[in-house]
Amino acid sequence: MHKVTKKLAPFAYLSPTLLLLAVLSLLPIAMVFSYSFLNNVVMEKNPVFVGIANYIEILTDAVFLQALYNTLYFTILSVVFHLILGLAFATLLNTKLISPLARALFRVVYILPWVFTATIIAILWRLMLSPNGVVNYMLNEVGLASGPVEFLSSRQLALPTVTFINIWAGYPFYMVSLLAGLQGIPSELYEAGRIDGANGPQLFRFVTLPQLRPIILSLAMLDFIWTVQQFTLIWMTTGGGPIHVTEMLSTFTYKLAFSSYEFGLASTSAFIILAICMFVALFYVRQQRAADE
Amino acid sequence: MNKKVMSLMIVMALLAALISGCTTVAPAAPAAAPGGESAGETVTLEFTQWWEPELPEGAFRALMDEFEAQNPGIKVELVSGPYSTTREQVVAGAAAGTMSDVVGLDGAWVNDFVKQGALASMTDLMTAASFDSSELAAQIQLDGATYMIPVVNFVYPVFVNNDLLAAAGVESPPSTRSEFADAAAKLTNPDANVYGWVLPLSTELPNGIQNDVMSWVWASGGSMMKDGQPDLTNDAVRSVAEYIKGLYDAGVITPGAFTMREPDKVTEFTNGRVGMMVDSLAHINLIREQAPELNFSITALPAEDGYTGKRGLPYASWGIGVAANSQHPAEAWKLVEFLMSQDVNSRLSSIAHAFPGNVNSTPDYVETDPLFGAAFEVFQQGYLANEFTGLPTAEGLMRSFDEQFQPYLDGSQSLDDTLNNAQAAWMEQFQ
Amino acid sequence: MNSIQSRQTKRRILQGLVIIALLIGAFYAAFPVVWMLSSSFKSNRDVFAYPPSLITDSFSMSAYAAVLTNPEKVRFFTNSYFVALLVTLFTLAVGCLAGYSFSRYNFFFKKPLNMLIISVQAVPPITLLIPYFSLIVTLKLFNTYAALVLTYMVLTLPYAIIMMTGYFNTLPKELDEAVMMDGGSRFNALWRVLIPISVPGLVSVGIYTFMQAWNEFLFAVTLTKTMEMRTVPVGIALLMGQHSYEWNEMMAMSVLGCLPVLLLFLFFQRYFIAGMTAGSVKG
Repeated sequence: MHKVTKKLAPFAYLSPTLLLLAVLSLLPIAMVFSYSFLNNVVMEKNPVFVGIANYIEILTDAVFLQALYNTLYFTILSVVFHLILGLAFATLLNTKLISPLARALFRVVYILPWVFTATIIAILWRLMLSPNGVVNYMLNEVGLASGPVEFLSSRQLALPTVTFINIWAGYPFYMVSLLAGLQGIPSELYEAGRIDGANGPQLFRFVTLPQLRPIILSLAMLDFIWTVQQFTLIWMTTGGGPIHVTEMLSTFTYKLAFSSYEFGLASTSAFIILAICMFVALFYVRQQRAADE
Repeated sequence: MNKKVMSLMIVMALLAALISGCTTVAPAAPAAAPGGESAGETVTLEFTQWWEPELPEGAFRALMDEFEAQNPGIKVELVSGPYSTTREQVVAGAAAGTMSDVVGLDGAWVNDFVKQGALASMTDLMTAASFDSSELAAQIQLDGATYMIPVVNFVYPVFVNNDLLAAAGVESPPSTRSEFADAAAKLTNPDANVYGWVLPLSTELPNGIQNDVMSWVWASGGSMMKDGQPDLTNDAVRSVAEYIKGLYDAGVITPGAFTMREPDKVTEFTNGRVGMMVDSLAHINLIREQAPELNFSITALPAEDGYTGKRGLPYASWGIGVAANSQHPAEAWKLVEFLMSQDVNSRLSSIAHAFPGNVNSTPDYVETDPLFGAAFEVFQQGYLANEFTGLPTAEGLMRSFDEQFQPYLDGSQSLDDTLNNAQAAWMEQFQ
Repeated sequence: MNSIQSRQTKRRILQGLVIIALLIGAFYAAFPVVWMLSSSFKSNRDVFAYPPSLITDSFSMSAYAAVLTNPEKVRFFTNSYFVALLVTLFTLAVGCLAGYSFSRYNFFFKKPLNMLIISVQAVPPITLLIPYFSLIVTLKLFNTYAALVLTYMVLTLPYAIIMMTGYFNTLPKELDEAVMMDGGSRFNALWRVLIPISVPGLVSVGIYTFMQAWNEFLFAVTLTKTMEMRTVPVGIALLMGQHSYEWNEMMAMSVLGCLPVLLLFLFFQRYFIAGMTAGSVKG
């Protein structure tokens, strides 16, 4: 009896989570999964089972492949720069070289990009980056540009620009988490390092980074999954254009669902996104297991 | 051990309380109250639309109150959402069987909603109510049955900034394509940040293809269809594509066209940075409000040189439809009839600054406002033309045309490829 | 003497560099927000004026007045607060329990479950929309706070669980064992010892959860229908009309929306500092 309760104890702690996820997450996901094998689901009362035809159609679509490339570009750059900026700002804000009050104020300023809904971030940057916007004005005044730069409507600049916006919008999440992580590092480790004659960069390299490693890994993995799905920001700034240069898997999927009303194909595309994310998650779980052992 | 179990139960109980508690907290949550038969004779109609937030505060509700007063026993609950998400809401609602009894529709959505089985045929409702449909300016029909009735229409003429035109030495608003191109060239002065024309081609909101591109085809009596099938490679479409490409290459179009949306083009105009734009009449008051000193006028969309026939005028509608799963189709029809009646339709088009959907209605601004008067003249000399209305995946068609048109404009695709690809993409939706 | 002096100059230089770096970073972080603030005081037309300027002749608080004097819009704010607070509370509670289980027990389904929790968030919400909507309608939760709260819990729980598992993993098991030696239950160990030490983690997870719930748009607009149930992001979208946007009011609404969030953050900052001392306990 006692043994059984002991075995069940971890599940007791997990039960609210499992209940919620099973009903409100797994169930709809399973439905979407079944949609991906049907033809014209939602629009037809009696959809037809088509096997993997939807998967073949999506995977051979040139726009899908471009969207895949764009999404990887967008996601990987976002994750890398989120990490760099988040770590840099967290380190700066953690320093004891400035007064606590100044630190507190800076922290609030640095977290600003995070407190706005994606819709507002998108239209704010559209406003600032438009040919008649303030960014173009400043660039022209300083002499860095002559004439308006079409950040969001040129084929060369649109993808880097939306990536830049996403980097701006996302780094505070890393910063806050890393700030908490930094403050959890025991000061003895630094003292020991200093006694061993390590300088600042060395302490960062050999004490800070290894200590933060688990947090960084989790953050990067989660950020990857979230960024792959980023929709609102792209949709509201470029709509995937011009000419598909900012087409992401998310906008591609959305158009399939609500522009072409191909819910079967949209579900297929969603499942391919899921598969990509699973791959990353698997890598992460492996890493964790390695760390545990 | 007991303590632990207890605490877990507390958490679970809290969650349960949350579920039930919140359901009761919500003041307006009769999720399952199809009509509320239990509450006596009163029928509650749900009316989903995006019009209420677009109109002066309280104006649309006032009309509904009037309807309720005239029809004791019917209550109208307005469900208002942003225009941009209305379509998704209707699709999801239809799939879940919770669609509102009456829904606001855009002509571009009708075909798909009918395919989904979401809309009721209003032909039957009209017959049942023995309604005389000759008053209706238009009905959107599929396979012989009416699914949408345009309540009010927003016509898209050309807005001209008179001061900019005068400064550029253009004497009268252009009426032909070459006059327009000529005026646009004279107006354009990049150093002063002024351009001749503004063209919104965002793929997010691709209705620029309808209002600012295909409208040129219709204005010269052309068509993008033939026998109900796409016909994008015909001469009418081809000449418009070439014409716009000419304007683009001449640099007379405001920069940023490829991601510009309809609301953006208006701000360019109100700030005096563009001389001419194709735009909804609904904007007259907005422009006046935002730029009181801006001196502008309205003219018909230019036609091909030498064209003398009637000019098609692009328009967008606030359409109305009845849900197929409505429990109260007769009451729903009463609401439609109310909105389409001569007097109410006059008043609604007055506050919306639109043209009425009832042929006998006259909005009051036609007499009192010279600009609207001029627009009404344009309207009466031409005919309403919007070939996208009722087409399958109409918005998707605009988008796929847009995706071909952009590379043509920036020189990376030939005209033949552009039109052939667009035609092929459209044909897929027509099979 | 000399070496102390040189160390002090070095410190000064370092301090100067840090301050310069912080200012540059602050410009990067805050400029768009300053621009938003400035736009909220302009007329709709001046928002697009060229050359742009921070303060224009049309400077006015009317956009704020329009938001604050409209009871419907004020209701958006109270809805958002109510929902976001509940979500934060419940997600933290449920997430701590799950994190504790993952951190302290070894059980058969541990890895697959972990994997599952990570991957359920990998399906784009837009494709889930239709089945999810039908589900909420079937559960009779449509147009209720519960629909929003539960949905946001599902969206935020994976992160909370992963983070709390991580934080608990950094705390030595001896801590729980000490409590249990004194006759306390495992739950006591979690509640009395682990959670108080994990305040910095809780705060950062809490802030994340709050932001997510506060800023979510897609489900907020789909799962509610009456004005009384709408949240701030939907309210902002309602200002984006079919033909024109109320730019200044949209900006004013986001500024108003972010102020209390920033205050909250300012207030909870000190828990990061508290976390420092807590973190050193384990040494």
